Amino acid sequence: MPDLLLAVRNVRAGYGEAVVLDDVSFEVPSGESLAVLGRNGVGKSTLVLTIMGFTTLIRGSLVWRGEEITHLAPHRRPRRGLGWVAQEREIFASLSVEENLTVASRPGRWDLAAVFELFPRLAERRHARGHHLSGGEQQMLAIARALMTNPDLLLLDEPLEGLAPIIVEELTAAIRRMTGEQGSTLILVEQHADIALGLTEHVIVLERGKIVHRGRSRDTLREPVLLDRYLGLTLSDSPPASGP
Amino acid sequence: MISSFVGVLFDGFAYGMLLFLLSVGLSVTLGMMNFVNLAHCSFAMLGGYVTVTLMDRLGWPFLATLPVAFLAAAGASAALERVLFRPLYRASDLDQCLLTIGVVFVSVAGAAYLYGTVQQPVQLPGYLRRAVTLGSFRFPVYRLFLIGAALAVTVVLVAALECTRFGARVRAAVDNQRMARGLGIDVDGVFAVTFALGSGLAGLGGALAIEMVGLDPSFAFAYLIYVIIVVSVGGLASIGGSFAAAALLGISDMAGKYYVPQLGAFLIYLVMVGLLMWRPAGLFGRR
Repeated sequence: MPDLLLAVRNVRAGYGEAVVLDDVSFEVPSGESLAVLGRNGVGKSTLVLTIMGFTTLIRGSLVWRGEEITHLAPHRRPRRGLGWVAQEREIFASLSVEENLTVASRPGRWDLAAVFELFPRLAERRHARGHHLSGGEQQMLAIARALMTNPDLLLLDEPLEGLAPIIVEELTAAIRRMTGEQGSTLILVEQHADIALGLTEHVIVLERGKIVHRGRSRDTLREPVLLDRYLGLTLSDSPPASGP
Repeated sequence: MISSFVGVLFDGFAYGMLLFLLSVGLSVTLGMMNFVNLAHCSFAMLGGYVTVTLMDRLGWPFLATLPVAFLAAAGASAALERVLFRPLYRASDLDQCLLTIGVVFVSVAGAAYLYGTVQQPVQLPGYLRRAVTLGSFRFPVYRLFLIGAALAVTVVLVAALECTRFGARVRAAVDNQRMARGLGIDVDGVFAVTFALGSGLAGLGGALAIEMVGLDPSFAFAYLIYVIIVVSVGGLASIGGSFAAAALLGISDMAGKYYVPQLGAFLIYLVMVGLLMWRPAGLFGRR
């Protein structure tokens, strides 16, 4: 039985008075990958932001390796092992690629050499400022920057959004390497449901801030009614070539 | 004619460097933290009074008082930041102005109570009271020292911001506070240290300013307006901007008083208005 990394228990959260998530509970054991799916505006990114401590938590708790972190300051959560790739990438524009990578890095297996091997393009652009990168390069940098904090759990918030197909392929291969060869634990929030289901072992589906489905990603791919109803995905839409 | 022009240029630049030392901390902290700290010159004044006290009452040499002036202002600002300012980081600009102007009133009253309202004299060491003569030009050593100090501070600040991990963290926090926190950077801690360093530089500027502009309890108000002009014209969070704006404004002010005495000290405001109409975000403004 793998160690339990994160437990989200009965979480009700949002922004100020506005409630976005209601009674959300799930667990992430070490070494597993979880897809968080749902249509736009159902609370997927709010869930990630809640885990990172950036929303108003009205009820419920977050437990990290058996320790309550519900009220832990946001900047202390990455130090416990939570890594975050924000939806809008949020690259530090005035920092170079290398500075973006090292500004918050912590010792571990992910160092500059390792992330440059994963994303060779970043090595070529290591001295370029953040605002000079293309969208795809920024996304690679956002993922690499999070990896450089050597997280035990990586939260990826829509990493494939708005990218050219060739970049999507490149990033998908990188995420597959992370979950496969390297055994990283991750939560993947994604609009591309078919790709996310192909990259992860488990899935939860959100609808209006509640979990309406949970199960194995592979099995969920065989539920066309569910895919259509909650994700607007039909099986004729490019199914993934292989799972993790 | 040429001699007076060079003299005005030199004196104006030296005065500009003094304004730079007084204002660069405010530029960085205001630009980074969006905190309107009108009490910035109170820390400068504190640095000045520390130097006066150490020299007059304890007989310290002038140069030895400068690091203490820096540390005293940095320490006082760190304490105030923790107790008074930090709770207002998310408050409105008006709330921040009201609080910090209140701190200015308290500091002015405190200085008047402790030292009276008279100008505080400071006796510079002999080697700083001399002048260097180059051809027909004569340059006071103290002003050369002032320029050297400002240039040294600029180099150190730029190197610290551009070449150190702490500097990268400061810039990251300026770029995107939430993301910086999300990567584990203690943004409040980074800001607190930067705030203290900025105020420490003001304290150093206050100590260096005594010989040139004098020191009395009105200092905290009198130089607040100049510091705000430098920050506005230079652009927030820009060391280069503050340097350029301070040099430009110092020379303009000196030239105005020398060549157009009818306008007197008003020329500096005309220059400010002109520059801000040309570049509303300042010379090197980020936003």
